[in-house]
Amino acid sequence: MSEEIVSRVSNYLTPQVPFKAIAQGAEAVVFTTNVHPYLPAKDSNNKTYVIKYRPPKRYRHPSIDRSLTKHRTLSESRLLAKLFLIPGLKVPQLIACDAYNGYIWIEFLGEDLPNDAGFSNLKNFLWMFAPSDPYDPIVKETLIKVGEQIGLLHWNDYCHGDLTSSNIVLVREGPESWQPYLIDFGLGSTSNMVEDKGVDLYVLERAIVSTHSLFADTYKEWLMHGFCQVYKNNGAEGEKKLKEVLNRFQEVRMRGRKRSMIG
Amino acid sequence: MPAKTEKQLTRKKNPKFSSMALISSLPQFPDTRISLRLFHNVSNASEIRSKVAQLPYAIIDARSICSLEQVYSAIYRALVESKYGKLKTKSLHSECLYSLSATSNIGEAYKNFGIKDDSQMLLVIQIVDKDQQDLQLQGDEVPLNDENLSQNCDMTFIRKIYKLNEFHSTSTIEISRAVVNCIQLRGL
Repeated sequence: MSEEIVSRVSNYLTPQVPFKAIAQGAEAVVFTTNVHPYLPAKDSNNKTYVIKYRPPKRYRHPSIDRSLTKHRTLSESRLLAKLFLIPGLKVPQLIACDAYNGYIWIEFLGEDLPNDAGFSNLKNFLWMFAPSDPYDPIVKETLIKVGEQIGLLHWNDYCHGDLTSSNIVLVREGPESWQPYLIDFGLGSTSNMVEDKGVDLYVLERAIVSTHSLFADTYKEWLMHGFCQVYKNNGAEGEKKLKEVLNRFQEVRMRGRKRSMIG
Repeated sequence: MPAKTEKQLTRKKNPKFSSMALISSLPQFPDTRISLRLFHNVSNASEIRSKVAQLPYAIIDARSICSLEQVYSAIYRALVESKYGKLKTKSLHSECLYSLSATSNIGEAYKNFGIKDDSQMLLVIQIVDKDQQDLQLQGDEVPLNDENLSQNCDMTFIRKIYKLNEFHSTSTIEISRAVVNCIQLRGL
């Protein structure tokens, strides 16, 4: 990552906040730190926090750049705040948001899986079980829960926009029990369009098929079981909307993600 | 431990360093000292209210505060805005009060969070690098911690001002988290 970004961030955070880069995307860089931005150290118990930073892009006009950064930082934060209010939906907690400078502080979720299986996102989790027992009951239970989370998101008219198996983080709730959390709402939006929901499901399906192709059919079935359950719990209206989403999902699958073929 | 007793004694002698106050600074603002004190059974609220504009403090009615997280989150926001020249009010202290608010109306922020004539519990925030003027407040200072805040706050009022009436959870931790979201995102 460019020296410039690192020096900019360390200048903003001051030497009191040590940080480590963990990921970089097209738009943002993600860091971790063990310093809480405002709670006294004794209350934060050596936890980890995520800092998501959108650096300025030099190819844009400075004033357009500022307003885009502010807009995107804010819309992601707002989405996290709204999703937090939905009962049952699990998203990371927003800690602080400095939209002018493009910084968001979020709670860090997940842990390292046993036997060097990597970080506890859904992708690594499924890979961890693949050699021994890909259809382990824990896998089934977890995938159903993932389906429920997506169902809740869609039922409440929100879309993720980049639903892949690495954007689903598993948080350990017991020795054999994991709660999935959806992360990275950088492309998320509120949307009541079936198209967006169909695309979300399609993107996740592609992610599962391409990384765990041998078991994908069963995995998809479990995911959809959890997803449909949320809609079915909402009576006749739920059934109706579920049908619309599933029909559109079929349609998207036939033609691909881009409907308009422009851009 | 004799060393500790001695420290406690000096603290008692010097009213400016009361042991119940929370004095800290935020990691990104190491040169700014933040002192927080909580008072119960305050009897002269209306007197203080009349001259609150001259006092170098942010004085908050503790009924509207449910956790330390809520207070610090607002202070953090005020400090960030001040550092990058985005202050909406005249001073850092008034900005703290304004930052607590869920709406961009400064008058409403003062009405909801500021001292009222009938206030009995007050949270006093001071952000300084210099010495302070004495606060003539008649009341009992109590340790400032999450228990003392959450047990005495007015949850119905907090839910109302942060528009959390629909929020499903009754746990103070969850409500406090939702409040932090409101504070961080207000008016942007």
